[in-house]
Amino acid sequence: MNTTTPPAATTPTHQAPPYRLPSTPYRITPTRILRSEWHKLRSLRSTWITLTTAAALVLGVGLIMGGTYTSGGGDSDVDVVVLTLYGSLLGQLCVIVLGILVTAGEYATGMIRSSLTAVPTRLPVLWAKAAVFSATVLTVMSTTALTTFAAAQLFLHDTDQAASLTDPGVLRALAGNAVGITLLSLIALGLGSLLRSVPGAIGAFIGGVMILPEVLGMLPYETVERALTYFPTQAAGALGSATPIPGTAAPGPALLALCLWAAATLAAAALSLRHRDA
Amino acid sequence: MIKAYGLTKRYGDRTVVQDLDFTVHPGTVTGFLGPNGAGKSTTMRMLLGLDTPTRGRSTTGGRAYAAHRAPLTQVGALLEARSVHPGRSARSHLIALAHTHGIPRARVEEVIALAGLTDAAHRRVKGFSLGMGQRLGIAAALLGDPATVILDEPVNGLDPEGVLWIRTLLRSLAAEGRTVLVSSHLMSEMALTADHLIVIGRGRLLADTTVDELVRQAGGASVKVVTPQPDDLRTHLAAPGVEITTAATTTATAARTAPLHELRVRGTESAHIGAVAAAHGITLHELTPQTVSLEQAFMDLTQDAADHRSQPPATTPPAHLTGAAA
Repeated sequence: MNTTTPPAATTPTHQAPPYRLPSTPYRITPTRILRSEWHKLRSLRSTWITLTTAAALVLGVGLIMGGTYTSGGGDSDVDVVVLTLYGSLLGQLCVIVLGILVTAGEYATGMIRSSLTAVPTRLPVLWAKAAVFSATVLTVMSTTALTTFAAAQLFLHDTDQAASLTDPGVLRALAGNAVGITLLSLIALGLGSLLRSVPGAIGAFIGGVMILPEVLGMLPYETVERALTYFPTQAAGALGSATPIPGTAAPGPALLALCLWAAATLAAAALSLRHRDA
Repeated sequence: MIKAYGLTKRYGDRTVVQDLDFTVHPGTVTGFLGPNGAGKSTTMRMLLGLDTPTRGRSTTGGRAYAAHRAPLTQVGALLEARSVHPGRSARSHLIALAHTHGIPRARVEEVIALAGLTDAAHRRVKGFSLGMGQRLGIAAALLGDPATVILDEPVNGLDPEGVLWIRTLLRSLAAEGRTVLVSSHLMSEMALTADHLIVIGRGRLLADTTVDELVRQAGGASVKVVTPQPDDLRTHLAAPGVEITTAATTTATAARTAPLHELRVRGTESAHIGAVAAAHGITLHELTPQTVSLEQAFMDLTQDAADHRSQPPATTPPAHLTGAAA
């Protein structure tokens, strides 16, 4: 037979006894998934770049607002927290992009296949991402808001915008600003998971969450206008003001609306994650 | 142990995998073979729960993949497409996966060393070569010390040393009693690595067999004999298991008085045929052992099922003549 044996034929390995799984304590737990997602978030350079940029923009703009402020000028009637945290309009863009990167970035790179092979029940991955990401953003943005307020007051203490943390609504508005940004970026995270594309989700956020309400606002219907105050960006704006802004929702309902928007987006993302092929 | 029961995957009206039934046994390396586009990757993704089958189901270690409490200890997988964030270091990638199961840091370092990535582990995956990417994928697959290993085209992009490393690794994993399923579109590679073969084409099961059996079925291992005395040879070679067929007959010419017969003899060796012919004074014009290459056996098997088959030039007019887009 030697001449007829194909040159590449194999000698079969003898059949080994079936492999017995060593009894290991390895097992998936919710805490471990959280740990994994925290490790993923902090081990990427883009996380620290976007968060630092966001904080720097808020603080930088806050210092400029404080440093250039003159009493009795055009900004006198602007709420002190809104004035101080003008920069958060820029800063939130960075955090929104980060939220999209956390989910859609995994699809763009293929990492999602590794993530879902490790945790095939899938949904815990989304919940852990949302939890770790929102906790990080809330920490960074609330620290930034407090620091920026304190820094801006160094310039504003002898103007008509002098304020302290203990003034009515100030602390609530500073926290509200951070919570608002956190919830907006959670919507972004959900959109990223839903659309699975970084540019797609950024486009959808800018178009659907930021521009669409502005367009709708031009319609001459009062109902639409009232409804718009509960849209994400408007609600987040209302949360970040120490004094009520005319024509916006009260902080309580605004917070509730924003939470519902974020919950709805995450629910849609969860449904899609559960049923679509990865 | 991997079992597939009627696995079917359809995208719209395109059926990628159809009614696949197979069992992958522990202790051997099973090659999962098929031309490009045959449905190998889709099948593997279904085994891992990444794609939901349109119909049918599969189990690993007796359960659906997602039903395991520690799936990484059941199945370790290397998928064909890269599944790593390029911005993370190799070590960070493995740590992130290890955290989900509470796998200790020491095991991470172990698989890094095993995959030969010790010097590169701190670097971002962005700068990895294809081969290093494969090594990282294999490190990730082995992280949970899994009972079953599923590797999709693991030798892609590996240098000869890497290819040898994979072969040795697969054999030793199987020798430890693990279930090893490894896909390839290269028959020659599978012949060196696998004992058992599952061959698919256009999403259908074509063969579930051993390497040796596949060659035998494809009509390999025969001897070509050309003789003017076929009947004498037939009589004297006749024995259980010996099979003789007439492949061609050449009519007599001016130079030869008798017609020549080309016979195909299976079940015995050329040395034996030569000895028998000599003992009985039978004239032989040719005595040639025929081997069907594994590549040929594979090609024959998948002939009708190949998706991207290169056509002979005569049957396919160049695109510029027909005006058809490539």
